[in-house]
Amino acid sequence: MSSNDQAPINQDEVRRILDQHKDKTKTALRVCAHCSLCADSCFLYHVHDKDPRYMPSHKFINSLGKLYKKKGKIDRAGFKEIEEIVWRRCVLCTRCYCPLGIDIPEMIAIARDICRSQEVFFQWSELEQPAE
Amino acid sequence: MVKAKRKPLEEIKQAIQDYTRVLNIGCGGCVSVCLAGGQKEVNLLNAKLNLVLKNDNRATRVDGFTVERQCNEAFLADLDARVARYDGLMSMACGAGVQLLAERYPDKPVFPAVNTIAIGIDRQIGVYEERCRACGECVLGYTGGICPITRCAKGLFNGPCGGTNDGNCEISKDIPCAWQDIYNRLKAQNRLDDIKKIKPAMQWQNQTRRLVVQDEYASRYKDK
Repeated sequence: MSSNDQAPINQDEVRRILDQHKDKTKTALRVCAHCSLCADSCFLYHVHDKDPRYMPSHKFINSLGKLYKKKGKIDRAGFKEIEEIVWRRCVLCTRCYCPLGIDIPEMIAIARDICRSQEVFFQWSELEQPAE
Repeated sequence: MVKAKRKPLEEIKQAIQDYTRVLNIGCGGCVSVCLAGGQKEVNLLNAKLNLVLKNDNRATRVDGFTVERQCNEAFLADLDARVARYDGLMSMACGAGVQLLAERYPDKPVFPAVNTIAIGIDRQIGVYEERCRACGECVLGYTGGICPITRCAKGLFNGPCGGTNDGNCEISKDIPCAWQDIYNRLKAQNRLDDIKKIKPAMQWQNQTRRLVVQDEYASRYKDK
């Protein structure tokens, strides 16, 4: 679903964006109490039968959190997984709620920003069409 | 969602060719979905523009950047430092996104690279049909789910007009009469009473700028 599949990852650019948002990311990862209260505010979580992979906290920890913990050292396959999380499992409606004040949409937006910097983004033109 | 279509290349080129550095800003929202102004379209347009500008011996160079939502300031913060390096901005977002950019960067000229067309539905990849003109006075509940504002050439609330001809519109025999379709659908649902009452003339709220405040949140803003 992403473009430019063969190009090498520009680690410097990934780290630059991570560093730009380092304080917020670090605080969010530290503050998250894994209380799962954010889950209830996500409509995608509900429409997917409360699949835990749709919990906002899960989405941010496994996208931006993963990039941060691995210091951006993620290959294209890893970026593909992150793309799946930040585009297919989140529509960035900004309605999710964290009782501890983590701005989860901002975290997802940063993860998308990093993906976009590597030309990884959702290809709407490749979306499967429903059968007629 | 909002549907848009890219402007002709020549029109875009004319708009930006007097600027040296132009930032083309895409949007990850509706215009990405309708394949008019997402990151892919930004990359494609920039490649074409840079080529024609170079061939015209113009100094203008276009770079690209895509934000997640141009109609929400929360997603524009990352642009601030970037925008300072450019003397002109181009937006591939809908009209709302273009205006928010112009509001946030009032010292920069902002040029739209797409025409915002409609609120519509997805038929196929790259094929979209207008279905709503956001008139602010939805009557779909009484018209069998067929919009007389969008579908009827005259936007009649009490149709059909005298031009309806064997189920087609007088402006073209290839265009079905919206009110014939409304009648047929309501008749099939045994709901013809819904259109027997005369609807009052439309109060065209969209002649002035509208503000949407959801009732549940109105108390937060009542003093503002």
